[in-house]
Amino acid sequence: MIPLLVTGLGVVSPVGIGREAFFASMAAPRLLQTEALYPAETFDAAMYPNATIAEVRGFDPAKYLGDKGLRTLDRLTKLLVVAARLAMHDAGFKKDNVYVQGSADRIGLCCSNAYGSLEAITELDRVATLEDARYINPAKFPNTVANSAAGYVSIWEDIRALNVSVSDGNCGALDAVACADVFFDTDRADAILVGGGEAMSEALYLAFHSLGALEDGTRLGEGAALIVVEPAEQAQSRGARVMAEIIGYGTAFKGPSTESPLVHASSDAMERAIQFALADAEIEPSAIDVVASSLSGVRAFDDAELAGIRRVLGEGVCVAAPKMVLGETLGASGAMGMAAALAWLEGAAAPAPLVAHCSKQGRELGGPRPERVRTVLVTSMGFYGNASAVVMRRPDLGTESPNGDARSTS
Amino acid sequence: MSLSSPRTSPSARPPSRVFITGVGVISSLGLGKEEFFDALEQGKSGISNVESFDPSALGREHAGEVKNFRPRDHLTAAESRRMGRCSAMALAAARLAMKDAALTPDQIRGPRTAVVIGTTMGEAGLLEKLEHAWITRGNGAIKRSLIPKYGSTLLPIHIARAMGAEGMVLTLPGACAAGNYAIGFAADLIRSGRADVVVTGAAELLQELQFSGFVRLAAMALDRCQPFDLNRQGLILGEGAGLLILESEAHMMKRDARPQAEVGGYGLSCDAYHITRPREDAAGSIAAMRHAIETSGLTPADIDFVNAHGTGTRANDLAEARVMRDVFGVRPVPISSVKSMIGHCMGASSALEAVSCVMTIERGVYPPTIGYETPDPECPVALVANVARCGKADVVVNNSLAFGGYNAVTCFARPGVLPPPRNRRRSAAPALAT
Repeated sequence: MIPLLVTGLGVVSPVGIGREAFFASMAAPRLLQTEALYPAETFDAAMYPNATIAEVRGFDPAKYLGDKGLRTLDRLTKLLVVAARLAMHDAGFKKDNVYVQGSADRIGLCCSNAYGSLEAITELDRVATLEDARYINPAKFPNTVANSAAGYVSIWEDIRALNVSVSDGNCGALDAVACADVFFDTDRADAILVGGGEAMSEALYLAFHSLGALEDGTRLGEGAALIVVEPAEQAQSRGARVMAEIIGYGTAFKGPSTESPLVHASSDAMERAIQFALADAEIEPSAIDVVASSLSGVRAFDDAELAGIRRVLGEGVCVAAPKMVLGETLGASGAMGMAAALAWLEGAAAPAPLVAHCSKQGRELGGPRPERVRTVLVTSMGFYGNASAVVMRRPDLGTESPNGDARSTS
Repeated sequence: MSLSSPRTSPSARPPSRVFITGVGVISSLGLGKEEFFDALEQGKSGISNVESFDPSALGREHAGEVKNFRPRDHLTAAESRRMGRCSAMALAAARLAMKDAALTPDQIRGPRTAVVIGTTMGEAGLLEKLEHAWITRGNGAIKRSLIPKYGSTLLPIHIARAMGAEGMVLTLPGACAAGNYAIGFAADLIRSGRADVVVTGAAELLQELQFSGFVRLAAMALDRCQPFDLNRQGLILGEGAGLLILESEAHMMKRDARPQAEVGGYGLSCDAYHITRPREDAAGSIAAMRHAIETSGLTPADIDFVNAHGTGTRANDLAEARVMRDVFGVRPVPISSVKSMIGHCMGASSALEAVSCVMTIERGVYPPTIGYETPDPECPVALVANVARCGKADVVVNNSLAFGGYNAVTCFARPGVLPPPRNRRRSAAPALAT
């Protein structure tokens, strides 16, 4: 693919809000499994002793957005709008929330989310079930619609070129990168905010808790991360600071071989997604310094993902697990993986401690800590046989080839 | 980028034409394209009393509910067990589209086939069941087996699994414009060489919370939807699924298939104005329609018919009339809203209406807007009022607007009418060195 340049990051995560805070936390990552448990802030967790949650604790959107207009917004919306505001400022499009570069008509949003605003749906369902559907709050009804949070991002940040909501479970935020690439191909925008968000709620926690998906130590998380991507000529023309390049993407789906299961971890899909991403990036497996995997602690899925990674990249590749620090953020998780990759590529943090932790869980992930991270493979494993992968690279590694394409020097 | 399998020399290849070779419909007016469009042509209404829940306390009782759909007529027993009603409608419509395209799963199995589906809420009915049990009877009442079946993510997964598709599986939850988002993006996947075949479209379920929400927004009419009428009272909800098979020209020719229509360009924009209302100046919607026409290589003078979003709400129809004036000027381009017959099927609406557009091209018939009685001077559109009309149908535009300020417009044409798609791919500029 023709590289897309990453020129900004807005992140609201359990380990920090904003690029600098996030990078600082990634430089000294604290493993969730060894962290003290805090009482849940987003819901009354009295019924769930030792609830394994990675919330954005003390989240105060008013600090970033002001006090006005927040009353009817749900948590998912607030997480995403703050991430978008930070991303727009980090990329230099805005200063003091006013456009200083670019224009609203040429900036877009591709935003992943897996489960919608369960908080809003539950609130209205409670009124409808326990009182009367005639009493549900019409001002909050729009929050129940899956694209509502993304729609509010456009309203708050004045982003008009396009606004595309994406849902592919845990893979959605990486798929949003592919959507952006298509939209740049067809000249629909000059820059696109790409990523995703997921908000904690009791309904979300209860679902994963009921399925036993948290028993192996996975901590359900929340947050929002949006990276700003631009074609090179756009970034160059406005003198943007370039944090990284996105040079390849791949995705695959593989259903189970038998009829009955619905939930399904496919190492074949992961293997193919990685193969396609490497081919798209025109690099060899040996060029990958580290994998920002989606290992989360759910054994069957971790095993399948590792198998797929190793079949393509070999036994010795360094595999990191950002979810061990950030929690399982589902529709946002691919974006969190890309944010972690940015920290490593900028030299702000090293992935090694994450590898060490995964090994503690009985998985020998191999791969010495790379001395310098130049190229990162970000992977996402879906719950239903879907998998996606993105290749990110330090911007100074691109060189001009005779035909003008940027090629890897690795 | 490689969505399913790596492309070769992506920037060197001219963009492929994209054709619709099959369509499938599950609707309140019938199953399959012939039954569906026959009824539209005859001005029949699919709107009736809601039976799947009791809405009487809300003061509204009508919807375009699909009453003659039995999943087991279209799905295996195992498939029926695996999925909710929304997915079942989507998969059934996909199978009807495959049959219409004379395609078998063996012909599309593998990584060069993608599935891209639009919806507003996906399996909202399953979530409602889970939440109702939880709210009324506590944590222990939750049926665990239902949990993994919830999520809009699943719609393309179920279809891909049934078809053996192994490329991209993606849901685009673009609210009431979701179908157009899916179809437009699917066409771009093929046009840019990222897939050979895409099973696309949208599905939506009539569900109690959404029904209540539209009532509480004071957006729902009592018993009929009258788009562009002076006395229109609002929308009537509906449900259903419209699926389309999109194929590259090479794939279609290789198997000697007949194209029903060509997919032209599409336009996207976001109002960034209000979460439920369109901009009064309709600027976003105008930009999207202009972009759809331009990216088809056409001008407004080439458009023969517009399928309106036409919800029957005051704000929507005013905005849409403004779009027609701005884009087409004084030329009275025929426009019609099939929502007067099938209701507003939310995420599925623009996909069902895309199928209607394909049939308009096939038959040269504009479906009517029924219930039209009193012209609204503020909506001076050339409406196909009450009775279907024959007319030139070489190029048809499908308009949609949605919650979140989403605007999406697609363009369909009789095969052979559109100019070759332009290669708009950005230049391969060298990456920056810091």
